[in-house]
Amino acid sequence: MRAFNAELSKLFSLPSIWLAFLIGAFAPAVIAALDSTAQKEKIIAGVSTRLSEVGYIGLGLGVQGVIILGVLAVSSEYLTESSESGGGNQITTSLTVVSSRFHFLLAKASAVTVISILLSVVAILTTVSATNLILGEYAPAFEASRLIGAVCYWIFTALLAFGITVLTKNGIIPLAVLIINSSVVTVSYLLAKVTKLAFYLPDKAGVDMFMFTSDSFHTPFKGGLIMFAWVAVLFIVAAIVFHRRDVTS
Amino acid sequence: MSVSSSRKITLILGAELEKLVTLPLVWLTLMGTFILNLVLAAAFTSAGLQGAAGTQSILKIGLASMGYLQAGFIILGILATCSEYTGGQIRTTLTTIPWRGFQLFTKHLALAIVTIPMAFIIAASGVLYAFIMMKDTALVIEIDAMIKTLVGATSYLTLTTLLSAAIGALLRRTTPALVVLLGHYFIVSPLLKDFLPSIKNYFPDTAGYYMFMPPSSDEINVLTPMQGTGVSMLWTLIIITVAIVFFRKRDA
Repeated sequence: MRAFNAELSKLFSLPSIWLAFLIGAFAPAVIAALDSTAQKEKIIAGVSTRLSEVGYIGLGLGVQGVIILGVLAVSSEYLTESSESGGGNQITTSLTVVSSRFHFLLAKASAVTVISILLSVVAILTTVSATNLILGEYAPAFEASRLIGAVCYWIFTALLAFGITVLTKNGIIPLAVLIINSSVVTVSYLLAKVTKLAFYLPDKAGVDMFMFTSDSFHTPFKGGLIMFAWVAVLFIVAAIVFHRRDVTS
Repeated sequence: MSVSSSRKITLILGAELEKLVTLPLVWLTLMGTFILNLVLAAAFTSAGLQGAAGTQSILKIGLASMGYLQAGFIILGILATCSEYTGGQIRTTLTTIPWRGFQLFTKHLALAIVTIPMAFIIAASGVLYAFIMMKDTALVIEIDAMIKTLVGATSYLTLTTLLSAAIGALLRRTTPALVVLLGHYFIVSPLLKDFLPSIKNYFPDTAGYYMFMPPSSDEINVLTPMQGTGVSMLWTLIIITVAIVFFRKRDA
């Protein structure tokens, strides 16, 4: 528990984390608002084919915020300080204090999970109110089961970012890969056109938890299970690698 | 010690080039981009092969991966300037080269020298792959159209790299710079395309898009390649200037 509190305090004191909070909390609402405005006429005319996902698209794209969170939580530990202030690494200090590597990883992952849940709840609140404000009575129904799916999607994505960064120790690659892959036209989407196997990629399966588009491949529950399996496997690999590895090399 | 100014430029340029070339992450990024581009080109080509024969444009399919490819060059630009700030290298740099504006300008120049050949090789490899795979089914392409397109793509990637380097120099930290740039290129800009079609053409990425996209009959090209180049270049120059001004005024 003390390690968990320490991890929370470390996360909150990172300067870049505010970027994650800002993006996670408000970008979904902005995107949903823009999309609602663009779709409003079509919806009123009754010709919109995307009514069921208008608000949710913000939640799908706003996951960027927790990606930054998950990556920063790990990569900040590996930043080398300048040679003038000793050239130290935070990870060395962290592992001196919490000497069980497994506990350290667990505490960090729990801190990331808790913040992701908070962020996704805030994001849902802002998104739902923005959509309702613009679309009024035409706003899509926000069912609890789909919103829970969105929260799960955010948590799993944050943990994926976390796990990949434990392996790479550097934030650049996971940030680039994950930001691009959760953008408007994802690589997985393109791959899905080439092979059916791409539907089993974590992001493609995870989106099925709350976006019911025409090309949905899995049921929400199955999509969640597939994404969870990815997260679990990644965590086992990350934990083993982290356990066996020399601290900074 | 007095050194003539032309000698000074060569010395600084040499130093900046050497710093870039010895940064391991630069080579990792370029290699990763190259491999990723081939994988994507393969995916796009096999998707294209399923389409109707005789109607596919090799150039269009070979360059379809450009949208993703630019991420590698954004990272390259950010790395070039932000690496100075991790571990206080910047103070050593400024002790040996106390002309700040000059230093940052030369850094961009060195970056351009490294980027241009790599951008050309990577862009050309995608087109080459598409060409080899599709030569029987696709339309015949003229050699000068291909050269024009490749030059456009290379200059687009180079301008993107320089723009990213300038943003990196402004923000000085890798993560925010990466988030801002990738967020713009991959999320904000595609969304604006749908919601605000009137101003989208004047963003650096959409304007740059016209630099290499072969003119097609089914959609209207709003900007000519030259106009696109002009708009992108203007963006890059403005941001580099802002970066240099800030760099001169700010504490290192």
